Amino acid sequence: MRRAGRPSSTLWLKSVVPTADLRSPIPRSYYRGTLGWLDLSTFPMKTLLRGLSVGLALAFCSPSAVRGIDRTPARVSGDVLLSTMQRELQRAQTNLGQLNPAPYFTSYSVYDEEGTVVVAGLGSLLNSTQFHRRMGEVTMRVGSAALDNTHQESRPSGMSSGLVPLQDDPDAAARVLWQLTYQEYRQAAQTYLNVKTAAAVRTQEEDTSADFAEAKPEVHLDYAMPAFHLDRKVWEDRVRRYSSNFRKYPEIYSSAVMVIGQKTQMRFVSTAGAQLATPGTLIRLMIEAETRADDGMELLRVETFQADTPDGLPSEAEIAARIDKMASDLKALRAAPTAEPFDGPALLSGRAAAVFFHEVLGHRLEGHRQRGDQEGQTFTKKINQQVLPQFLSVIDDPTQRSLNGMDLGGWYRYDDEGVRAQRVDVIKDGILRNFLMSRMPITGFAQSNGHGRAQAGLMATGRQGNLIVSSTHTAKDSEMRQKLIDEIKKQGKPYGLYFEDIEGGFTLTTRSLPQSFQILPVLVWKVYPDGRPDELVRGVDIVGTPLAALNRIEITGEKTEVFNGVCGAESGSVPVSAAAPAMLFSEMEVQKRAHSRVRPPILPPPTWDKSAAVGLRPSDFGHLASGSSIGGQQ
Amino acid sequence: MIRSRYRLALLTTVLLATVSGLVAQNSASADDPVLRAMLAEMQRSKSQLKLADVQAPYYLDYRLMDVDLYMAEAAFGAVRTSLRTRVRMLRIVVRVGDYKQDSYYGPGEGVVDVGPLDDDETGLRHQLWLGTDRAYKAASEALTAKQSELKKYSVDQQVDDFAHASPVQWVTPLTRLDFFPEPWLATLEEASGLYKSDPQVQSLNASLRFSVTNRYFVNSEGAVVRTADSSYQVFIGGYTQAADGMRLDRSHGYQVRQMKDLPTKTQVLSRTRELLTSLKELREAPVSEEEYRGPVLLSADAAAGVMSELVGPNLLGNRPMLGQNARTTGDWANNYKSRVLPDFLSVLDDPTLSTFGGHSLLGNYEVDDEGVKASRVSLIEKGQLVSYLLSRAPIRDFPNSNGHGRASVTGPPTSSLGNLIVQSSDALSDDELKKKLVDACKQRNLPYGYFVGTLGPRLTPRLLYRISTKDGHEELVRGAVFGDLDTRALRNNVVAAGKEFDSEDRLDPIPQSVVSPALLFDELEVKRGDVAKQKLPEYPPPAGTE
Repeated sequence: MRRAGRPSSTLWLKSVVPTADLRSPIPRSYYRGTLGWLDLSTFPMKTLLRGLSVGLALAFCSPSAVRGIDRTPARVSGDVLLSTMQRELQRAQTNLGQLNPAPYFTSYSVYDEEGTVVVAGLGSLLNSTQFHRRMGEVTMRVGSAALDNTHQESRPSGMSSGLVPLQDDPDAAARVLWQLTYQEYRQAAQTYLNVKTAAAVRTQEEDTSADFAEAKPEVHLDYAMPAFHLDRKVWEDRVRRYSSNFRKYPEIYSSAVMVIGQKTQMRFVSTAGAQLATPGTLIRLMIEAETRADDGMELLRVETFQADTPDGLPSEAEIAARIDKMASDLKALRAAPTAEPFDGPALLSGRAAAVFFHEVLGHRLEGHRQRGDQEGQTFTKKINQQVLPQFLSVIDDPTQRSLNGMDLGGWYRYDDEGVRAQRVDVIKDGILRNFLMSRMPITGFAQSNGHGRAQAGLMATGRQGNLIVSSTHTAKDSEMRQKLIDEIKKQGKPYGLYFEDIEGGFTLTTRSLPQSFQILPVLVWKVYPDGRPDELVRGVDIVGTPLAALNRIEITGEKTEVFNGVCGAESGSVPVSAAAPAMLFSEMEVQKRAHSRVRPPILPPPTWDKSAAVGLRPSDFGHLASGSSIGGQQ
Repeated sequence: MIRSRYRLALLTTVLLATVSGLVAQNSASADDPVLRAMLAEMQRSKSQLKLADVQAPYYLDYRLMDVDLYMAEAAFGAVRTSLRTRVRMLRIVVRVGDYKQDSYYGPGEGVVDVGPLDDDETGLRHQLWLGTDRAYKAASEALTAKQSELKKYSVDQQVDDFAHASPVQWVTPLTRLDFFPEPWLATLEEASGLYKSDPQVQSLNASLRFSVTNRYFVNSEGAVVRTADSSYQVFIGGYTQAADGMRLDRSHGYQVRQMKDLPTKTQVLSRTRELLTSLKELREAPVSEEEYRGPVLLSADAAAGVMSELVGPNLLGNRPMLGQNARTTGDWANNYKSRVLPDFLSVLDDPTLSTFGGHSLLGNYEVDDEGVKASRVSLIEKGQLVSYLLSRAPIRDFPNSNGHGRASVTGPPTSSLGNLIVQSSDALSDDELKKKLVDACKQRNLPYGYFVGTLGPRLTPRLLYRISTKDGHEELVRGAVFGDLDTRALRNNVVAAGKEFDSEDRLDPIPQSVVSPALLFDELEVKRGDVAKQKLPEYPPPAGTE
């Protein structure tokens, strides 16, 4: 099988659940944080940093990169901030507890995030920012666990958030927490009254579960932040150098290289007695390149590398080689024919299968999707039923740091609701056993299993961590291509498809829209049964409905591949991993991708314009003349 | 002043008028890789950019704003934000058609992108190349869309889409943001820490924003402009609640163009103490009565706020929506040559001034963001509206720019204020104004008149005093709003103006100052605001460790 088993497979997942836009421009929060005065609401930052946006969202908004580190805990003595949080929480409980209605649960979280973001394009710096912030959250539940202010669509009323002082100033921190607390109380108490009335007025909901699950109050204080320093100046130069590799490729219109290094110290205290402090780090290097085919189709390649420390990132030579590969892929894609709608056998590489499972299965296993009035609830009533072929099992295990030597991005020790991360056997031998649970109970599942995740400022919901698919019906990876050809022949199809790489995808889980998903592959090959060489095609989207698609898996490869990414949903962006072996599908439906019809640039790139002075026509530039749309007539 | 220094140090030499010769021959632009890249790409686009069967552009411009920014904020004595960032934003406009009718419409109004921070010609030209291509394609489609939209309307009087302007070459030295943040962070912490002196203050923040912007502009007509400006802001704000729950806000902003004009730490602290004192006084002040109709005196500070809100926007020569026949989008679209203010008041806008009456002005610039030289414009003469502030988008009766086309970092240039100055031909001293207020109240048998010290957002009085008719005694009141403070009241009810000036200064999104004397109204409605009162906090603030 060609190009199977790539050594390092990282990209990001772009999931939109239920209906948001996958390709949102740079999150406004990023610019609010840095350049509050820039009104970017109409900012047409088209392509250059589109992909990077996800990473920026992570850097600036996501506390969920918080992971415990396996080291001896440092001495706890004198965590001024934690003791201030504890003291202020105590005061809030004492004072607000006397009111009617009173909160029955309150927690404070503070995410101390420190880091650097450096972005460059074509050898020149585009942005270089060092940031440090402490984001404080007050979570409050008024009423009772059976019915509280966070019920159903009122969930956002459970949290107020704001910045807390960067230094350990107990008076200032206490004041800020006090302000957030009484504001949150007003919001929560008001919402609770509305919720109570609505519960009395409306018909009974399908799922009558309580609104909040009991959880063991964990006490775990860990301040052992890995000692690394992401030297900004060093990385500025490095990212400049990396990005200048793209200067060699006139057919790449836009490109960027970004590195983010972040340390997050999370602190959490609750009125139930939990007391947590966990350190975490995240280093991420992203490379994006984009071009346009002559028919206007935008073609994008993205590579992501993730590690716990800067040393874990690949060498310069490795990155240069990867950039060369991205450029040659894009060049090949520009010249590739567009695919036709197709329904037939398909082989997905391990990382393609991993994204497929994240989108098609993973999101539908998130606990809170089993009870919303708006949710499609594909799997809600399928507990203990066969939902996958018997040879497949799926776990989500945030406690696992690596798999086959590859770091897993969805690793953490405690979730954002203070619950210890757990391995969950969601599907065992094809049978659905469990869901990914936050502290929002659903019928039959009253407890959290440590999957309540969110970015700072948003209420946690059940989310994926490390979703790992395993198989007992396997063939050697080298034989998978032959299996595909056999299947093509068996079905009498003219060809099958091999999905080598996937850019991301999204899925709709609401009732008001068709239950469907769309996966956006970037490298797709037509595989012919008659020995002709594989043919690269572009403009393919995998489409379909979840249950049907999942049951057409015939056999898998042996080697599990890992896809590290950032996943976006209601509770914000969180880092995740998905891992799966290559998979052969007896039937896969693809459709033509809708694409822009904007022509490629009229003039050649400036550095490739040999006419520097005046007079020459753009059509004099052979390297772009393969495109037929250059119309330099004057 | 920073501006006059530039003028002395001006590097500008005569750039060759022919664009084709600009690339390498001008020394100032040749030394600057940013200008060099912009000119080279301009040259290439101008001479070569064309799609078959589509008109070539008749005009292009490139703008780059290089912003270096430092922001910090402290609350309750501790810093919460401290961030330095630099960004270069590009804006590219390509116009297809001609000056009479062109593609500047919807998506044809230009594209914005991030530019490289390094002075690297390759990277910058690459971004300009992509942006120009995108802008040209969008412009071509926009022209067709505009023409078909225009078919829906009958237009009384054809106004050109784009004004002719002679190309300006103006290159001044670059500026840098250079300072030590630590002393400033200490000032912010100390100022915001003063909340401890009053346990009832619910919030006290101090923040600053220092920024330096180097602006680059070139167009296909031969304009080459590089200017620099800096701005330094320090802001203090706090609020408290009265016993009845009414929220009371006070704030103070220092906004200056040069670092040396910033207040000292001692000044910031004493100003913060004053704010705290006035919050306490407001908390204890009586609530205003339900309704008052009578004479009101606005301090120069308050009057500048009113002028900025009610007069400034109506002097902008903004074109109306496509197909509409109005002259501008403001209230005074149809008041050209009619009386809009009392005849003793005149208004002008002069971006060439850097100070007025001892006040440092923010709206000082030499060349606007369309490459047009700034000029002083007389707008209202003896109460009569005689002109508008104009960019290169002409309006009826005003075919040319008067150098007021200005832009935010990413936005399009639009007609904007520079330094708007309101003057009176018959100015009174503060004492005379106050006496006149009291006399007017006496005449109407009113026990007191109102004096407005300062305004908050939406022209809401923050410091409002009753002036006793009997003995001139001042009493602070809270909770009042104006009932009918509008342009009609400005035209009909202003009866006197003061000698002293104060200014309303804004840096966002476009730096500007509005200067006004105190104004006496013979009648205004002052009534009790009907905002819902919030509850007091459910429990007391933390005691603190000291």
